[in-house]
Amino acid sequence: MKILIIEDEKALSESISTYLKAQDYICETAFDFYSAIEKTELYDYDCILLDITLPGGSGLNILKALRKNNKADGVLIISAKNAIDDKVEGLISGADDYLSKPFHLSELSARIAAIIRRKKFDGNSVLHFNNISIDTQAKIAMVNEKTLDLTKKEFELLLYFVSNKKRVISKNAIAEHLWGDEMEGNLDFIYTHIKNLRKKLQEAGDADYIKSVYGMGYKFSDT
Amino acid sequence: MKLLAKYNRVNIAATILVLLVGGLCYYFILRFVLIHQLDKDLKVEEQEVKDYVLRNNSLPNAANYKDQKVLFEIADPGNIKRKISSVNLYDTAEDEQQQGRQLIFAINSAGKNFKVTITKSQQETEDLVQLIVLLTLAIVVLLLMVLFIINRFVLNKLWLPFNNTLQQLKQFNLSNKTVVNLKESNINEFKELNAAVTAMSHSVLKDYEALKSFTENASHEIQTPLAVIKSKLELLMQAENFSETQMQYIQNIQEEISRLSKLNQSLLLLTKIDNQQFKDTDEVDIAAIITKHLNNYEELITAKEITLAQNIANGRLIVMNRVMAEILVSNLITNAIKHNTANGSIAITLSKDQLIVSNTGAALNTTPHELFERFKKDKVNSESLGLGLSIAKKICDQYSFKVSYHYGNGLHTVTILF
Repeated sequence: MKILIIEDEKALSESISTYLKAQDYICETAFDFYSAIEKTELYDYDCILLDITLPGGSGLNILKALRKNNKADGVLIISAKNAIDDKVEGLISGADDYLSKPFHLSELSARIAAIIRRKKFDGNSVLHFNNISIDTQAKIAMVNEKTLDLTKKEFELLLYFVSNKKRVISKNAIAEHLWGDEMEGNLDFIYTHIKNLRKKLQEAGDADYIKSVYGMGYKFSDT
Repeated sequence: MKLLAKYNRVNIAATILVLLVGGLCYYFILRFVLIHQLDKDLKVEEQEVKDYVLRNNSLPNAANYKDQKVLFEIADPGNIKRKISSVNLYDTAEDEQQQGRQLIFAINSAGKNFKVTITKSQQETEDLVQLIVLLTLAIVVLLLMVLFIINRFVLNKLWLPFNNTLQQLKQFNLSNKTVVNLKESNINEFKELNAAVTAMSHSVLKDYEALKSFTENASHEIQTPLAVIKSKLELLMQAENFSETQMQYIQNIQEEISRLSKLNQSLLLLTKIDNQQFKDTDEVDIAAIITKHLNNYEELITAKEITLAQNIANGRLIVMNRVMAEILVSNLITNAIKHNTANGSIAITLSKDQLIVSNTGAALNTTPHELFERFKKDKVNSESLGLGLSIAKKICDQYSFKVSYHYGNGLHTVTILF
C-alpha cells in the first residue's frame, strides 16, 4: 500500500512515515505545494495525507485538482485548523476523512486503514489476524468462525488493535478513539473495557493477544 | 441622587435662605424708613402748632382724626421732656390695639404751660409695609416656580445627549463588535465627552480584537509542535527494553501532552465561540443529540455502575448551531459521568423549555457561580480541565439560554432554560 504524506513540518512527516513503514506501508513525502502537485499527478497512491496550510498554496487546491483529474486516491486531511468550516469544506471537496492536529499515530493508522478498506475493497473487506477475522462492513468479529458477542465499543476497540497490531497504543489514544476527545482526566475505565474484550476473546478459544505494557498502554501482538 | 435633584435642592435652599434674610431686611428697612417719615410728620405738626401759638398766642383746636390726634393738657413744664416714642393706641372704630407714634412737647401759650401730645397711627404704615412685603413675596414665589419649571424641563432636555451617550455605553458589548454610535451634540462639554467615549470604544475594540487573534494564533501555532512531540513520543513508545521507571515517565509525558492539547483545543473553541464563528443555525433536534451522546457513553456509564434515568420529550426543535448543540450536550453528559460517584445516578430531563442534567457527586468546594468561570474546578477531580462548564455557559449565552447550577441532597443539577 502506497501512502503520500503531504506535510510541511518535516519532523511530523518523518514520525508519520516511520510509524506507517513499520505497518508495512510504502511512504513518500512532499513538503510543499508544488512537489505535492507533481507527485499526485505522476503517481497513484492508496491514501494521501494532506495538510491544509502548505508553503506555496492551500492543500485544498491539491484535493480539488485530484478530483478534477478523476484520481481515486483516498485523501485524509490532517490540519492544525480544527475549525469546523475547514472540516466541512475539506470533506465537501472530496476528502475521505479529517484528522486535526495533534493526533495519535495509532489513530492516524486506523483511519488510513479504514479509508483504504473503503476505497480498495468497497468496504467488503474482512481483516484477519491469526484466527480472528473482522468483517468491517457487517461489524462482526469472529474467532475460529465463531461470532463473538461484542458491544459496539468492544468491536471498535478490537478493530483499533488489529489496525495497529504489534504497536504500543497509549490509553489516551484508546480513550480518544472510542469516545472522542471529551473524556479527559482519569482513564482507568479503559481497563474495564480491555478486560471484557480479553475475556470474550479467550472464552472463544483465542490466545491472549492483548498485552499490557507497563505504564504506557497496550499492545496487540502474537509474539 | 440625580444631578438635577441635587442642583435643585441647593438652588432652592439658597434661594429660600436669601429670600428669608432679604425679606426680613427689606421689611425692617422699609418699616424704619416709613416710621422715620412718620416721625418727620410729627415734627412738622409740632412746628405747625408752635407757629400757630406764636402767631395767635392761643392754642389751636385739638384735633382728633382717625390717624392723627393732637391733645393739649395743662402741665408743669419742668416735668415735660420732649420725646418721640411708640405707643399702643386703641382704635374704637375697629376695636383693636394699634401701634402708633407719639410726640410730646411743652408749649407756652397765653402764659400758660401746656403739654402737647401728637399721636399718629402707625396702621397705614404697617398696612403699606405688609402690602409691599406680600407683593414682593408673591413675585419671589412666582420666580421660584418658574425657575423650578425651567430647571425641570430645560435641564432635562439639556442632559439628553448625556443620557443618550450613557445608554449607548450601557449597551456597549465587546463581543458584538459594534462601535458606540453617538448622537451629535452642539454643546461643547458633550461633544468632548462623545469624542472621548468614541475614541475609547474604538481602542477597546481594537485591543480586544488583537487579544482574540493573539489567542487564536497562539493556539494554532502550539498545535504543530504538540503534534510533533506527540508523534515522536508514540514512536519512542514502540521501542522495547525500557525500564519500568522509564515507561512510567513516558506515560506521564503522554498524559500531560494530551492534557495540554485538549486545553489548547478548548481555549481555541472558546475563542471561536467568542468570535461568533458558529453563525449558521439550524433547527436542531435536542432529543436526538442527547440520545446519540448517551449511546456513545453507554458503556462508560455501565462500567461506572451508574443508574441512568431519562425523561426526554421528543420533537423539541431549537434554532441554534448544530456543532454548538453537540458540544453543549456532550459537555453536560461527560461532566455528569466524570464527576459522578461509583454506583451513582444520572437523571436527564428534557421538556419543551428546559433541559435538566443532574448527577450524584461530592459537594463542591467552590461557589456555584464560580463553576462557570474558566479554570474554576473543584479540587476533588483535579485532572479535569475546568473548561467544560465555561464552554457550556458560553454557548448558552450565545443563544440567550439561562443556565444555572444547583447542589442539594448530594445531587449536582445543571438547568438550561431555552
